Amino acid sequence: MSDSLLYFIEVTIGGLLAGVMYSLVALGFVLIFKASGIFNFAQGVMALFAALTLVGLMEKLGVPAWVAIIMTVGVMILLAWLIERMVLQHLVNQDPIILFMATIGLAYVLEGIGDLMWGSDVKVLNVGLPDGAVDWLYDFNIYVTKLELVAAATAALLVAVLAIFFQKTRIGRALRAVADDHQAALSVGISLRTIWVIVWSVSGIVALVAGIMWGSSSGVQFSLSLIALKALPVLILGGFTSIPGAILGGLIIGVGEKWAEIYLGEYIGYAIENWFAYVLALAFLLIRPQGLFGEKIIERV
Amino acid sequence: MTQIERVIGDTLLKVENISLGFGGVQALSNISFDIKEHEIRAIIGPNGAGKTSMLNVINGFYHPQEGAITFKGEVRRTMRPHEAAKQGIARTFQNVALFKGMSTLDNIMTGRNLRMSRNIFWQMLYLGPARREEMEHRHRVEEIIDFLEIQAIRRVPVGKLPYGLQKRVELARALAMEPELLLLDEPMAGMNVEEKEDMCRFILDVNEQFGTTIALIEHDMGVVMDISDRVVVLDYGRKLADGTPDEVRGNQDVIDAYLGVPHDEGEA
Repeated sequence: MSDSLLYFIEVTIGGLLAGVMYSLVALGFVLIFKASGIFNFAQGVMALFAALTLVGLMEKLGVPAWVAIIMTVGVMILLAWLIERMVLQHLVNQDPIILFMATIGLAYVLEGIGDLMWGSDVKVLNVGLPDGAVDWLYDFNIYVTKLELVAAATAALLVAVLAIFFQKTRIGRALRAVADDHQAALSVGISLRTIWVIVWSVSGIVALVAGIMWGSSSGVQFSLSLIALKALPVLILGGFTSIPGAILGGLIIGVGEKWAEIYLGEYIGYAIENWFAYVLALAFLLIRPQGLFGEKIIERV
Repeated sequence: MTQIERVIGDTLLKVENISLGFGGVQALSNISFDIKEHEIRAIIGPNGAGKTSMLNVINGFYHPQEGAITFKGEVRRTMRPHEAAKQGIARTFQNVALFKGMSTLDNIMTGRNLRMSRNIFWQMLYLGPARREEMEHRHRVEEIIDFLEIQAIRRVPVGKLPYGLQKRVELARALAMEPELLLLDEPMAGMNVEEKEDMCRFILDVNEQFGTTIALIEHDMGVVMDISDRVVVLDYGRKLADGTPDEVRGNQDVIDAYLGVPHDEGEA
């Protein structure tokens, strides 16, 4: 194989794997948006908070990684319960924009708590995930880290589990019911509050997975919460209510920005990676505002 | 039509002196009536009479400012909707409230929600007990599907169904809850004659075979007089009359409310 082709493959794989990270954050957004119509601005900070808590527990308590992970899952569930109790419950039936503002507040509170409890310095997260290049791919001169492959596999597994959960189980069905019609859901005895706690918990756990992956590859630092911003174009591409959309949107943006950086960089200037996703999102808003998989918005007049 | 021999039991639900207002609008003023076990109770009245508000109070969507509701001997001022569902109150809606993106089967399965108990950890894993439970409830749901003759649309997303069938799926979902009290808000609105006849038959069958108590709002007077045991008439949030179909039909206030009272006497 020629060098340029190899290089292309390497860039593409690198883009796909970066995309998986975006997808993971976007997935958390979609879950909450689907079930409650709330655009959760705090999703990125939740990933940061989860990673900080995990590192903190491992450092302060000296427990093994898997124990700390289970404890962090507990913390995220507790957090979901607190959010429902202290924020959502008081804002039932309010406009979406008010709930959105509440999640902005939540983002800062979480960031503050994370800072207070675990400090603001960059931390190394090592939960024992494999690192270094994948040897057999490296033999072909393609550099892919094991961590990236683990992240991709984890994301795939997560999506599969969530898909079964949503389609086949009682609680999944109740989640879809709530997403569809609040009143009808109430009338068959589904408790909105329970559903919200569940959906925020699941979102929190997805955030933890995203936090572990990002943290392992680039350290746990406060800029982690900025990846949430990249999830926004991912959502616009994939549609706000579609789980497959979140995944595919993440991959497209991940690959697209790498391609643009490498192949367009020399003509229109480098650092395209920083703005490519947003321009793509803008184009989508003009051409297909519901996203690739979103429900088409039909307004009856 | 042959009259069905049924035993009307004790009082199942009693509403007393219910008053409900929204800002300046008084939707219900001082309404009292009762519903007995196994009976079909109609609530009628012109548009804006407060019929739907009354159902909303009973199943907990609205919380009245005054009055009390007694259901199965338990007195309360207000009820939360999912509490009402737990107590055995199911309902359908005037403007069909189904889960449009979900199949007929899934819609009806949501009605089993409260009767399924496996917790989230089993559900997450979709293992053994959760799966077995799912199968048991599927069986019950299939019986309801047979009963309402909607086998053919099992897998169709309900958003794609014609209105008449959507109404039937909504009834199926309510029946899946195996309620003691079934509230039907205009079950026959927007249906053609044939669909209406089917729906009438289903309502009577539910009442007879499952012994379900039914409270229904309906505008078609022929239907109301045919199938209900007792009728309560509302107008502008007040109770005008209460009694058997014959009693209500002969009531002068009711006739006036429906046909309008000539104003010329006062103006002359």
